[in-house]
Amino acid sequence: MILRTLILAGALFLTSASAWAAPLSVDLTAAPSNPVSPQMGDNLSFHTVIRNDGSIPVDGLIAWISLVQIDKGKEQPVDLEDWSAHKAVTAASLAPGKTLETDWPMRLIQSGTYRVVVSAVSRSGDNLTASPFADFTVRQKPVVESQRVLPVAIGIPFLLGGMMLWRRRKA
Amino acid sequence: MIMEIDHLKVSLGGAPILHDVNLSLGEGEIYGLLGPNGAGKSTTIAAAIGLLKRDGGQVRIMGKDPQTEAKPIHAKLGVLPEQNGFYDWMTAEDYLGFFAALYDLHPREGDLQDRLARFGLEPRPGQRIGTFSRGMRQRLGLARALIADPALLILDEPTNGLDPRGRREIHDILIDLSENHGVGVLLCTHLLDDVERLCKRIGVIVEGRTVAEGTIADLVRSNDRLVRFRLHVNGDVSKSEVPPTVTVVARDGEWCSVALSPEIDPQTAWRELLFMGWPITEIRHEGGGIEDLYLGLTEGRAA
Amino acid sequence: MTATGLIARKEAGDLLLSLRGLGWLLTMAVVLSVFGLLLVGNTELSLLDNAQVVYDMGGIVTALGALLAVVVGTDAVAGERERGTLVSLLLTPASRNSILLGKLGGQAIAWAVMYAIALPYFWAVGSTGQNLVDGAVSVALLGTPVVLGFGFLAMGLGARLDSARSSLLPGLIVLLLSASPLLLGPSLRQSAIGRAFDAVNPFSGALNAYDAVIIDSQSIAAQVPHFAVTFVWLALTLWFAARGFSRVSR
Repeated sequence: MILRTLILAGALFLTSASAWAAPLSVDLTAAPSNPVSPQMGDNLSFHTVIRNDGSIPVDGLIAWISLVQIDKGKEQPVDLEDWSAHKAVTAASLAPGKTLETDWPMRLIQSGTYRVVVSAVSRSGDNLTASPFADFTVRQKPVVESQRVLPVAIGIPFLLGGMMLWRRRKA
Repeated sequence: MIMEIDHLKVSLGGAPILHDVNLSLGEGEIYGLLGPNGAGKSTTIAAAIGLLKRDGGQVRIMGKDPQTEAKPIHAKLGVLPEQNGFYDWMTAEDYLGFFAALYDLHPREGDLQDRLARFGLEPRPGQRIGTFSRGMRQRLGLARALIADPALLILDEPTNGLDPRGRREIHDILIDLSENHGVGVLLCTHLLDDVERLCKRIGVIVEGRTVAEGTIADLVRSNDRLVRFRLHVNGDVSKSEVPPTVTVVARDGEWCSVALSPEIDPQTAWRELLFMGWPITEIRHEGGGIEDLYLGLTEGRAA
Repeated sequence: MTATGLIARKEAGDLLLSLRGLGWLLTMAVVLSVFGLLLVGNTELSLLDNAQVVYDMGGIVTALGALLAVVVGTDAVAGERERGTLVSLLLTPASRNSILLGKLGGQAIAWAVMYAIALPYFWAVGSTGQNLVDGAVSVALLGTPVVLGFGFLAMGLGARLDSARSSLLPGLIVLLLSASPLLLGPSLRQSAIGRAFDAVNPFSGALNAYDAVIIDSQSIAAQVPHFAVTFVWLALTLWFAARGFSRVSR
């Protein structure tokens, strides 16, 4: 009798635990408007659909974007500070069968090959749900072009200096 | 009266500067305002034209109170401050044009050049004020002060730093303004020669108070002071007659010290002396008169 | 033309036609040129992100504009008084308010000229990215109240203090303190005092808005709190200048 009770309690515990685990799925796609071969300074956008595939609401949902550089010898996580202001999304509750759609814009700061992934957890969940990866490569682009800077940096002071000389001569 | 100041009191930063200043100036009159440095002349002017608030007393300019009716007063007032600055990058014509526009005047083509010429200013085309001599700047300042044909002109040390010719030109302009255009002129100066030549009435301010006001002749007479000169005479005049208006004080070879009563015009006295056979070749002012009066009133104060 | 317009035009002439004013503009241009040349000549700076370059340029232009405004504002009142030109203006029939407005207009013209000089530099360093327009518009909208406020502050100080030198010094000290976000590192700005200072400092308001718009791609319309800080600063300094100018007596 005691054994049967224990088995029943264990089954109930397992059932409820699986109900608590967030039955989330995260789908990640690149926006159609993204350039095929992006370069530094371009903007990219990714779209995620977070779905509650379970039968009970998911409370305290939080999803965030991560970026890592995957160039050989330069593997490292990227601080998104300069890349994007849209770093996370939250939802108080996601009902069963409902989805949370989010756009993740970012500006490309450095050249290299990168992998982006969106992860989601909930308050009651005990595991992490991650999206598929999206990879992209950013081409190098000179930030400041000397053929633009030099004429301005030299020309404007010369122009003002010339005006001063002209005024001095007229005085 | 075009300008009346009665018992004016002014404080600056809580410290009383003017205690009791009085003056009155009529149309066409040139009035000399005298006093040592720090006596309160500039403060008097600033309060009179509404730049400083007064603690007490009355100021009326053209019958109006400058504290409450500054705009109509400023429209008919010309002021040449002692430290008169210019926009050195402008030409004289630009400068006068700028002020004419501020007075809402619309001078015709050539008017400004005519005005400049009247003040002896004929700069090169395009010449900037920054290149002007001190005399030219002073004349330009006067032209600016007169741009709106004012009824009252206030001048603070207008001939400072000018050569004798420049001073004479300014004198002539002021005399013309007062005699032919009825402009009242308040002349604030240290140069007693200017005052003697231009003013009939003066006021003397000492430590924020008017200590004397009236015609020069009356003030000098009331102080019992004679005007003294040294004459160089080319010959013996020991036997020559002396007119009753002249007192011979001393003789020293060819030099002779004489005293005139303050009400006597020196030019008249010299004519009488020449008529009586005095071969005068040089005249030097030796003191007395307004100079003695001024020194007496301001004794012990910085000049 | 009204008295205000005449005086504003005269103030513009003081800047653009006098050797003194042209010298100030030349100095500002040389500083911007040095920054531009550093970007192309210095390896580390040349690797800066384009948005970062535009942001830095915005900060430098605002700081230089504020410096020019302090100098021009001091000169417009204290300098004119020292040169003996102010009293002649005060004794015209133009009202005090007209004269003050003209001088404020002169400040605006000085900033417009400075901004116009800065635009080619913006183009030179920022045209390869997509932040150029955002940067230039942010500086125009948020830099303007900051810069003009410093000019008004300098005019108010000039009206109250005896000499140009004694009014220039406090103006420069306030500018240096306010522009400290450009000089301080992020850690100091994140301290409690740093955050409190950031919340009320107009310069921080402008810089934080530049950061949000140029680097974080936020919209300018979303920068309401930063606009509020800079426009409160402008209103306070305008009041300070007007109060001071009403008491000028020489």
